[in-house]
Amino acid sequence: MPEPVVVLIEDEPQIRRFLRATLTGEGYRLFEAPTAGAGVIEIGSRQPDAVVLDLVLPDMDGLEVIRRVRQWSGVPIIVLSARGQERDKVCALDAGADDYVSKPFSSGELLARLRVALRHAAGASQPENAVFKLGGLHVDLLRRNVMLDGREVRLTPTEYKLLTTLIRYAGRVVTHQQLLREVWGPNHDSMAHYVRVYMGHLRHKIEAEPARPRYLLTEPGVGYRLADG
Amino acid sequence: MPAPAVAALSWFPAEYARAVAATAAATAVAWLMFPLVDAPTLILPYLVGTVAVAARAGRGASVFASLLSVAAFDFFFLPPYFTFGVAEIHHVLTFAVMLGVALVISGLTVRTRRQAQAAEDRERQTVALYAMSRELAQATGAAELAAVASRHIGEGFDVEVEILPSDRTDPERSSVVLPLLGHKGPIGSVRVRPRRRAALASPERRRQLEMFVNQAALALERARLAAEAEDARIRAETERLRNALLTSVSHDLRTPLAAITGAATTMLDAGARLDASVRRELLESIRDEADRLNRLVQNLLEMTRLESGALQLRRDWHPLEEVVGAALGRLAARIGRRQVVVTIPPELPLVPIDDVLVEQVLLNLVENALKYSAEGRPIRILATATDAQVTVEVADAGTGLPQGHEELVFEKFTRAAADGPGAGLGLAICRGIVEAHGGHIWAQNLPEGGAAFLFTLPLADGAPASVPADA
Repeated sequence: MPEPVVVLIEDEPQIRRFLRATLTGEGYRLFEAPTAGAGVIEIGSRQPDAVVLDLVLPDMDGLEVIRRVRQWSGVPIIVLSARGQERDKVCALDAGADDYVSKPFSSGELLARLRVALRHAAGASQPENAVFKLGGLHVDLLRRNVMLDGREVRLTPTEYKLLTTLIRYAGRVVTHQQLLREVWGPNHDSMAHYVRVYMGHLRHKIEAEPARPRYLLTEPGVGYRLADG
Repeated sequence: MPAPAVAALSWFPAEYARAVAATAAATAVAWLMFPLVDAPTLILPYLVGTVAVAARAGRGASVFASLLSVAAFDFFFLPPYFTFGVAEIHHVLTFAVMLGVALVISGLTVRTRRQAQAAEDRERQTVALYAMSRELAQATGAAELAAVASRHIGEGFDVEVEILPSDRTDPERSSVVLPLLGHKGPIGSVRVRPRRRAALASPERRRQLEMFVNQAALALERARLAAEAEDARIRAETERLRNALLTSVSHDLRTPLAAITGAATTMLDAGARLDASVRRELLESIRDEADRLNRLVQNLLEMTRLESGALQLRRDWHPLEEVVGAALGRLAARIGRRQVVVTIPPELPLVPIDDVLVEQVLLNLVENALKYSAEGRPIRILATATDAQVTVEVADAGTGLPQGHEELVFEKFTRAAADGPGAGLGLAICRGIVEAHGGHIWAQNLPEGGAAFLFTLPLADGAPASVPADA
């Protein structure tokens, strides 16, 4: 398999330096762009497998970069953002970004997000007949059967739909709005607490300690993430 | 009390018309009496008419009524009838007496009425002045005081009032400018523009206006002095905080930076010669110290946001369990194998909070508990609810807070131990966030040892849209 190509759009040289060492060390081919303009050109010419994009750039808002790229490419985009800017993260995800990492982040975190994004882009997002496995959690998507540590778990239809939606995006962040649309349908936009209440039910059924979840992780202010592997 | 010319003029038509009407009425009555009584008795109805005029009109109209009465009496009831001529000399005496009596009675009546009116006016002014003083005493801030004073003076004197910051103003026709004099000199001025010409005509009214203005000046001066004292206090407090910040930040920034620089240079200079375990320890110290720097910067930013009022709550209905879970998830590395016991009753209602901020509160409290209690001692998180609020408690089994520090720990740059870690901002931030939600936060030592931090989150009146159940 040829080494995956990543375009990094980031204006801070220190961050580029650290990511260059990390990503090339992990076997990625990296192309760097210090501005949004240069970044969009790089994406167009390099046809990367993934994009890592800083939201704050000197020449253009990172959100605008996402919108432009999304007009002609479905390439996975991972956004670099700061803690406390949950609103920006949600906007970036709504605009079409796939995931985010909060600065300061460990290289492990970014590499995990990249792996998940590449996996999803490869179209391997859970074939319909597969059994999804995560720790002691086994979900048979064909037989609609959920097992936890070898014991069957009974889920209501909504809980099951919520769980399978998260499985479809396994390892990726899913916003409240996305979950509302996919599980409850349109016209529930201001009902984010539905998701939270059902997520609570689901945790009580499949987490050993619902207040310290291992599978169904919360991203405060943004949404949820099903743990990856 | 002489009637001011302007006032008399303005009353002219009504009052003088009334004098004519009263004389006409007296003539009619006298006409009816004429066949029955002798001529001098007919003076009586005229005197009654004159008194009636004096009871309501000014001095001028009363004198006018007296003269008119004498003329009418002569014209209608003394021979030769229907002329102003006088047939007998003693009639002149009758006129003189009649005129004298009319003038004296009307004069007395007018004066009595004026005095009664003046007393009533004074009474009203006193009540009005008292009402204004009372409202001024309750008002806070110069703007509110100025508004109260303007309203009272405007309504009481039927004038437009403008309070000006300087005592030097451009003179303007049709308005009066009075200085606002405090105990310590002028603090501005008041421009008064009468809505009708007579509003401030009498010296009495002007004196009363001055009383009102003086009262307002004293209140405004009081407010200004209080504001200046408050400013000075805030400046002193800001200065103290700035010093504390500099001391604290310079120490807290330099320590991790020194550790990072030291570890990194050691790795660069002698990396190849070091054991794998030593290299790992150096790298871990770089990571941990960078983490610490990050938390410090995060706290400083959070504090700045809280204090600048830029904090905006993004409230929604959240299960507390999820927020606790997020905080514990973020602390997972530092919790390690420590025991954390979470007790949240399943029936706990959803709370209307900003989840990102309340997670920060929980994170700071749990982090504190980890810091101030020994390895191996458990940390407890407990939530309870009443109809009005949810109370969350984070308790450790450490040494507890020093006596009397239960309040103090929430102040900025205060730590339980003078050489403790952190800049002492964590709890101040917690307090800021909890209070922004309308809740309280406090600390107490537990009888069985250790400290507990508790905070409340009010449940709003509204409830979230009920969640549809499914099978």
